[in-house]
Amino acid sequence: MQRFEYLIKRFILAIVVILSVMVLTFFISRVLPSDPAAAWAGSHPTAEQIAIANQRLGLDQPLHVQFWRYFTSVLQGDLGTSLQTKQPIARDLRTYLPATMELVFCAMLLAVVVGIPLGVLSGAYKGSFFDHLTRLVSISGVSIPTFWLGLLLQLFFFSQLKILPLGSRISTATAINNPVTQLTGFYLIDTAVTGNWAAFKDTLLHLVLPACTLATYPVALAIRMTRSNIIEVLSEKYILAARITGLPRRTILFDLALKNAIIPTITVLGLSFAYSLTGDILIEIIYSWPGLGSYITGAVLAIDFPVIVSVTLFVTVIYVFINLILDLLQAMLDPRVSLE
Amino acid sequence: MKRYSLLILLVMAALLLAQCAPAAPATPAGEAPAAEQPAAAGDVARKDIFVYAHPTTIPNLDPSTSYSNDLVVMANCYETLTFYNAPGSAETLSPKLAESWESNEDATEWTFKLRQGVKFQDGEPLNAAAVKYSIDKIRELAVGAYYIWDAVDTIEAVDDYTVKFTLTYSSPLDLVASANYAAWIFSPKAYEENGPDWFNEGHCAGTGPYTIDSYERGSRLIMSANEDYWGGWKDGQFKKVVFELIEDPTVTQRMIESGEADFTYQLPADNLEKIKQNPNLVVYQNPAFLNLVGLFNTVKPPLDNKLVRQALSYTFPYDAFMEGVMNDRATQAFGPVPDGMWGHSKDLFQYSYDLEKAKELLTEAGYPDGGFKLLYTFATGDLDEQTAGELWKAELAKLGIEMELQGLSWEAQWDLSKADPAKAQDVFVMYWWPDLISPLSFLKSMYYSEEEPLFNLGYYKNPEFDKLVDEGDVLTGTDREAATEKFVEAQKILVDDAVSVFFYDSANIHVASASVAGYVDNPAYPHVVFVYDLTRK
Repeated sequence: MQRFEYLIKRFILAIVVILSVMVLTFFISRVLPSDPAAAWAGSHPTAEQIAIANQRLGLDQPLHVQFWRYFTSVLQGDLGTSLQTKQPIARDLRTYLPATMELVFCAMLLAVVVGIPLGVLSGAYKGSFFDHLTRLVSISGVSIPTFWLGLLLQLFFFSQLKILPLGSRISTATAINNPVTQLTGFYLIDTAVTGNWAAFKDTLLHLVLPACTLATYPVALAIRMTRSNIIEVLSEKYILAARITGLPRRTILFDLALKNAIIPTITVLGLSFAYSLTGDILIEIIYSWPGLGSYITGAVLAIDFPVIVSVTLFVTVIYVFINLILDLLQAMLDPRVSLE
Repeated sequence: MKRYSLLILLVMAALLLAQCAPAAPATPAGEAPAAEQPAAAGDVARKDIFVYAHPTTIPNLDPSTSYSNDLVVMANCYETLTFYNAPGSAETLSPKLAESWESNEDATEWTFKLRQGVKFQDGEPLNAAAVKYSIDKIRELAVGAYYIWDAVDTIEAVDDYTVKFTLTYSSPLDLVASANYAAWIFSPKAYEENGPDWFNEGHCAGTGPYTIDSYERGSRLIMSANEDYWGGWKDGQFKKVVFELIEDPTVTQRMIESGEADFTYQLPADNLEKIKQNPNLVVYQNPAFLNLVGLFNTVKPPLDNKLVRQALSYTFPYDAFMEGVMNDRATQAFGPVPDGMWGHSKDLFQYSYDLEKAKELLTEAGYPDGGFKLLYTFATGDLDEQTAGELWKAELAKLGIEMELQGLSWEAQWDLSKADPAKAQDVFVMYWWPDLISPLSFLKSMYYSEEEPLFNLGYYKNPEFDKLVDEGDVLTGTDREAATEKFVEAQKILVDDAVSVFFYDSANIHVASASVAGYVDNPAYPHVVFVYDLTRK
């Protein structure tokens, strides 16, 4: 019952947040100096064209009417039309989102499977050479600018070693000779389902550099968080008790200690996932990755407000949703977390 | 224990992901991976594929509304009635889908005879009805550059291969029909049956030499040869065309240097010297139909005084700017119509950097020691506009004139100038390029009297100039030489009145692989590669 009430409470809060973001972004986009009608009409519009555009975009209506129109159409899943491309934004999002999701999922997978074990071991062998090395790696990881790392990796693996591609999701040759059948937009899944193994391999190769670059920060973060929490947990009395009973070290580390130490790491990685959806702009540009980051960059440069507002709203929804899930997950992992 | 094994599995999966890299088949040194792997049987060989690394996205593939960078694709799958020839050609226009055309004396009735035996890519025949449908659709939707057909009253399919346009006022419809936007002829059946979204999913229904196979928005567009193209095919032409959409110029540069791409533009200007020395690449430099002007505020003192404007025109360090900043990217302009376009004249007076002359003129105007302030507005982030301002500011300071530089978003800059001319900027810096290849686009938009300022942002009003432009406009359709004379006359007035500082005409810089033969830059279709004309050496 308590859990149900909590859920309702969080849900209402989430709706309030989303509504506020809708109102704020809408009105900010109308207050800032810009001329959406002129942007719609093209590079050298005539006064008549601007008037037509104003009418078509409903900009001749009072603000509250415009907002209501925007609000009701968003509820119906219509995010409006891009001023620059004249394409429906919802469709654009469906195109660009899977590319970003695939990249971010791979990066997060790396963060979990590399970052957490390294953090546990580093914490368990605190002060050892391994610990120092891991800390060096993690400090570099959180402080290195990703665009610089991205360029370095390209220089090394593409220009020097010539073993990894420069960017984009698949190579030109594959796109022509073994085209990907679009099902989900996640190429690894699409190619695997259709048995297009040449394209699958090519997709995987293209994922390595951007995923590693994007993963650098969350991996380092996971190492640092896990390490410090493991150190704290290992000094708890129940761990001492477990040691005295003679339990194997790995059981103590990965079964007893990690369970308590992992919660903050999961929270941080969850938020980092949401952040990466738009935070990987530079990586997407460097690797010519046709994702949300590239999309929003184009929109910002062209002052394409409908797109900017929609993407902001979309990312807000994801943030709120992930936060909700994280809170519930925490409660599941740790019964002591109160749902009040 | 169970969880531990799971962890090991996950780590192994991660290692596998990481190990995939070295597991890739080794490629010979000097070659890029993947792209240059030998083609398997049945695969299209790399030499038959033309790869264009394009620096921006391709937003809209709908031929009825396309009005952006989409042009590079559209020009390979659609065709226009007439074609604007590259500068240096004997004739301005050549036939494309229309084999011949004529107008009545005052250019208010135009008749186009269509090429016979041409088919759209969906198998439908090209005929007068299709031409009428395409242009009517463009006008009905009224999006993008549709207004180039503004003069058209009715379109009539006289017979299968004759289209007659009746106009409400005279207009050079032969030029209009060659435009790079809003003039593509497309299959009515495809448009009616599939609707505009179908085009944007990556389809094409034109008469052109290539058709769209697939379009992955923001990433890549693939075209293949239209086997039934009316022009026919011969050996050595490209079978596939790929547009790789790459925003990062350093990545583009690596692609063209490694041979992954065959053609590109917008590479970092500083790297051009290095690229020119690369034997595998060719750099094409040609005038673009694009120029930069600084419109003087002709209604606000002190620039309402012609002498002051002339004086200022002598203060910009043209040569130093071209040599030090623009290098090969631009040349000093002769008046407002750019080099290479009809209506451009090298006989126009060209202001040069001459501070003494400027000082004389200022003294004559009553400002011997300067003593006034000017506001120079430009588009934030445009380094060329900003640098021009900074250099100019330093020169003006020598004459006691203070210039404030203000970078604004285009909208803010435009809003400021459209509000109240008396409080607006003194120098409005902007680029201009034509929708329709005619001097009219430059002269009418930027200098023709306007009640409400739109693009005449120097607020210039001169009935004598307006009259010449109007006369040139009418003559454009019937007697282009006479029209040119009128337009040149009109430009002489502008130069003498020093209505703008005419900074420069831009150059297009394109980089192509040396293995590609037959490329000709045509600024009427900016950055378009007509791949049909190319072969692989």
